Parts: sequence; structure tokens; C-alpha cells
Amino acid sequence: MNLIETKGLAKQFNETAAVKDLNLSVREGACTALLGPNGAGKTTALNMLTGLMKPTQGTIHFHANYPGDRREYLGYLPQHPKFFGWMSGLEYVTFAAQLAGLEKEEAIARAKEMLDLVGLTDNRAKKTAGYSGGMKQRLGIAQALVHSPKMIMLDEPVSALDPIGRREILELMKELKKRTSILFSTHVLHDAEEVSDDIYIMKKGEVVAEGSLVSLQEKYRQPAIVIETERNLADWAQLIEDKAWLRHMKTEETKATLTVENIENARTELLNDASLQQLNIVKFEVMKTSLEDLFMQVMN
Amino acid sequence: MNELIASLQEVNWPLIAPLFLLSLILMITALVDCLKRGQTNGPKILWILVIVFINFFGPIVYFLFGRRNNE
Amino acid sequence: MQQWKVLFRKELKESLRNYKWLWIPVVFVLLGITQPLTSYYFADIIEQFGALPEGAIVDIPPPTSAEVLAGTLGQFNQIGLLVLVLAFMGTVAAEKNDGTLIMVLAKPVAHFNYLTAKWVHVLVLAVSSFLLGYAAAVYYTILLIGSISFSQVVISALVYCLWLCFVMTLAVCLSALLNSSGLAAFATLATALILSIASIYAPDLVKGSPGMLTVYSEQYLYAGEPEDGFWLGVIVTAGLIFIMMSAAIYLFKNQEAAKNAG
Ligand SMILES: Nc1ncnc2c1ncn2[C@@H]1O[C@H](COP(=O)(O)OP(=O)(O)O)[C@@H](O)[C@H]1O
Ligand SMILES: [Mg+2]
Repeated sequence: MNLIETKGLAKQFNETAAVKDLNLSVREGACTALLGPNGAGKTTALNMLTGLMKPTQGTIHFHANYPGDRREYLGYLPQHPKFFGWMSGLEYVTFAAQLAGLEKEEAIARAKEMLDLVGLTDNRAKKTAGYSGGMKQRLGIAQALVHSPKMIMLDEPVSALDPIGRREILELMKELKKRTSILFSTHVLHDAEEVSDDIYIMKKGEVVAEGSLVSLQEKYRQPAIVIETERNLADWAQLIEDKAWLRHMKTEETKATLTVENIENARTELLNDASLQQLNIVKFEVMKTSLEDLFMQVMN
Repeated sequence: MNELIASLQEVNWPLIAPLFLLSLILMITALVDCLKRGQTNGPKILWILVIVFINFFGPIVYFLFGRRNNE
Repeated sequence: MQQWKVLFRKELKESLRNYKWLWIPVVFVLLGITQPLTSYYFADIIEQFGALPEGAIVDIPPPTSAEVLAGTLGQFNQIGLLVLVLAFMGTVAAEKNDGTLIMVLAKPVAHFNYLTAKWVHVLVLAVSSFLLGYAAAVYYTILLIGSISFSQVVISALVYCLWLCFVMTLAVCLSALLNSSGLAAFATLATALILSIASIYAPDLVKGSPGMLTVYSEQYLYAGEPEDGFWLGVIVTAGLIFIMMSAAIYLFKNQEAAKNAG
């Protein structure tokens, strides 16, 4: 069952078409990722779904089981969540719960529960003005969840965080998947692959690929060869750049990942490449890439 | 000089006292707020001087412009 | 109603925590006390500190109570109004700009509740501060200068309150519709100034204007009965407050809450 469905959703800012003809559906109970580089239109799309922006064209349907103001069933974490600095974390989440209609006692109890879930119990009495970036992100998730929404929308929930903070939020999202549907945006393929069930890859306002993670991985999986050498292989890499069988190559010093058209051709040619052998091969592996190749094409 | 003292004694102090008291409350509140605050708009020491040395208007200007919103 | 109360309580708490509920009333009381005190001691002050020629006799007729209170209203109308408008110029605009507004509006919050909770809070604070200041002024005036009839004081205060509510309503509405706090304050003060000037230079042309309320309120202090145009001014102002608020809610609702500049 689809919780939310858009048809031909579009947003135009003067000259810029931020989102074009977006047909998005989020399944109940699934975690859906909007993946795309900066400026792809992810934030604009989410803002239209919450109702904070009015679409230039198109429609948004929320499931008929949940009638009325769809904000009642949505929780939203903006890309840069901002709080009233003079409130404590607990005060803010309680305030958010009461805005969504919870009675005071219930609101406080729920707020405490959510702060516990995101790991802010020890800091809940502290003014939010003194919160770090990671704490604000977690507080933002707590306030989004506090009225038990059917779906939460998280705009780049891990982008501003250091690796540890990133890890924590991703783990939390895996936990949250059990309670509520999630729609989140990211510009990092790895984040999308790690937690999502469905993926929409966006570029310049348009969806360029969509489907379940598994089906996309199947569809776009490409044969690839990983080569590791003792010497730096940057110069050699330039020699083979224009080969017809090479789709895409990523090199870092002594390691190269080559996505190729035809694995047989590539293997034969590479193994017979004298200049490559001079670099002292330490590893030669044939494998299949995930969405990396597709994503690199989108990003460039 | 004696005249001045005489006229000062004529002044009805209980009537004037609230004026001083309220000005003092205004100043102390502004001062406490300024000291407690992490950051002010502009150098804190300047605001402290403004609050303490400019009677009445100093604290008002601090309350209106010395604080960042939302803290 | 539940939601409205939550939003109102948030405003109240915010203004308590940042001391607006302390310092603004104190400013009004100080303004209220100062006017009668300086009027009373005016002659003394001139005599002691003024650079009068030796032997000059200071002979200034003592002001009447009505004059002193009218002077107080004048103070409220300058410093008092300036302080109130500047203190609340960002009530909505600042929340738009710092990003807290979208956090609130992402919840099922009615724009009507959001805006009217702010509006009522601003009016309650403004009116309370004014009434406290005016009460202090009346107390000092009666003590130092002379008595004045109760009804004169009360009615002039009520009429002045309506003017205050008009200006603060304008401030809240402009804060909601414009993106800059400074612009909202400037536009509000400019409007108040133009209305006041019109009421001084062309009172006959603008009988029903909100700006005339300050004139009517002072004249009531002197005369003890409503001036020609008094009721017209009251009705027009009340109507304008209602219209401004309704229009602001409508326009605010149709505004794009999220700005998201990339
Ligand atoms: N308020 C706005 N006015 C004009 N252009 C905008 C506005 N908001 C976003 N854009 C433009 O729309 C495009 C998509 O932006 P956005 O949705 O923020 O992308 P993303 O979140 O994927 O980085 C960008 O080119 C951006 O510059
Ligand atoms: Mg974005």
C-alpha cells in the first residue's frame, strides 16, 4: 500500500525548474531514499510533500485511510533543523507534541520516550542553544517522531555529521524503520544502500532511476575488475582511458576499479598488457559493482 | 552650597526613590542577561559599559539590539 | 483552542525568559513617573541649575493635572511606542528567517492560531505595560499636582489603548508578511508617524483616523467629554484592526513557508 503518491509534481522558481514531473510513491513500512547531488531538487520535493511549499504543477495524494490535514501523519526533519534556543530539549519536543494535539501529560511522557530513543536523555534539560550539530539532528528526529506519524521525512539527516555521528544516525534509522515509514534524502550512495528499501535517483529535478534497492542493483550491476599494483598506476591509467571496453574507471594511487562492457575482452587485454605488468600486480579481481557506476554517471 | 543642601533636604525622597529603584532594576536585569548570554551582538564589554553608564536608554538599547534572536 | 493555548503559552514563556515582561513594563512606569516629577520640580530645577540672570524671578504657572497626564501620553507615544515596535518587529519575521517557523508549520498548526496567539500576546504585554505606566503617572500626578476625575483618566486611557493596539496589530501583521524585521518596524513607525502628523495638521480631514485617537484621548483629559469625531475614530480603528488581522492571516496562509535557497 502506498502511503503517499505524487503525480507530475513540479516546482519552478523563476528560471530554475527545481523539480520536474516527479512521480513518487512511498510504500507503507518501507524506507525510501531520494538520492542525488546537490541541487537535484530533493529538499524542494520534500518541502512540497510536507505542504511547506506549493507545487507549481501536479498532485500529492495521501492514503485515504488517513484523511484530513496530512501534516498530522507526517514528521519532518529539515536539512538544517532550528529550535527555539531558550527552550530545553524536553521543552521543545513537548511543545512539538502539543502542537500535534497531544495533551500535556501525554506529550511530556512521549517526549521523554523519544529523547530516550535518540539518546538525548542526559541532555534533555539543557537549552537547545547549547546543543552540538549531532544533538540537534537527534533532537530533530525526536520532534519529528513525537506524534507517532505514519511517515517521517528526513532531509539529509547524516550529511552534516562526522563519521561517528553518521554511524549513530544510520543505526537509529534502521531502528526507526520498524515503527514508521521513512523517506529521506542523501547525496551519498552508500547511505542509501545501507538503509533503504526503495531508491529514487534524482538529477537536475528529474528522476533518472527508481525501484527497489535490490532490483536497481540487479539492473545496473556492471562487471568490474579491481587491480592493485605495487607502483603507482596513474600514468598507466591514462593509457587505457580511451579503450572501447571501458565504461568507467576509478583510481587511487595503487588501486584501480574498472567498470567494463565485456569482461572477457577486458580480462584478456589487461592480462596481456606489458606496461601494466611492469607495475607489479598484487591483485587482479573480477567482480560486479553495485550502483556505483550508475551513480557516478549521475553525479558527473 | 548650603542652598543646594537645603533644597536637597526639601526633596521628597520617598517619591524619588522608585525612580532610582526602577532604573536600577532595569540596569541589573540587562547586566545579568548580558553576562549570562553566550554571545552578544558585538563586543560584550561594550554592552556592559553601555548598560552601566547610560542611564535608562543603555539597558533599553541593549535589550533591543544587544541580543541575538532565539537564544 | 488547545493548540492556540500551547502557542500562546510559548509566546508568554519566551517573553518571560528574555525579560520582556519585566523590562518593558519598567520602562513604561519610569516614563509615567518622570513626567509628573519633572513637572513638579521644574521650577526648582530651573532655579538651582538653570543659567538665569541674578535676581530673575522664576514664575512659571504650575501645570494642571490634565496637562501633566497629556504630557505623559506624549512620552508613551514616542519612546514607549518605539520600544514596543522594536521589541516585537521580529515576532514572525525572525522565526521565518532563523528557520524555526517551518519546524512549527510542519506540524498540523493552523495559521490562524499561530498568528493570533502572537497577536494577543503582544497586545496583552503592550496594554499591561501602558496601564501600569499610566497608573503610576496618575498616582504621582494626584500626589504632586492635584486631583483629576476618575472617569476622565479611565476613558482617556481606554482610547489611548485602542491606538496602541492599532499600532501593535500593524507591527505583527507586517512582521508576518515581510521577510525583514527592520522593514516591518520601519513601515509600522512610518505609518504611525504619518497618522500622527495628519492628526496634528489636518484634524478635520482625518476625523476617523486611528491617529486622531491620541488627540481624542488628550482632549478627553482636558474636557471630560468626547470630542466631535471621537466615536467615529474608535469605530474606524476597531474595524481596521479586524481587517488588518484578517488580511494578514489570509496572506500569511498563502505565503510559501519554506524558502530553501539551495
Ligand atoms: N527559493 C528558491 N528560489 C530559487 N531557486 C531555488 C530555491 N530553492 C531551491 N532553488 C533551486 O532549485 C534547485 C533544487 O534545490 P534543492 O531542492 O535545494 O536541491 P537539493 O536539496 O537536492 O540540494 C537548485 O538549483 C536550487 O538552486
Ligand atoms: Mg537539500
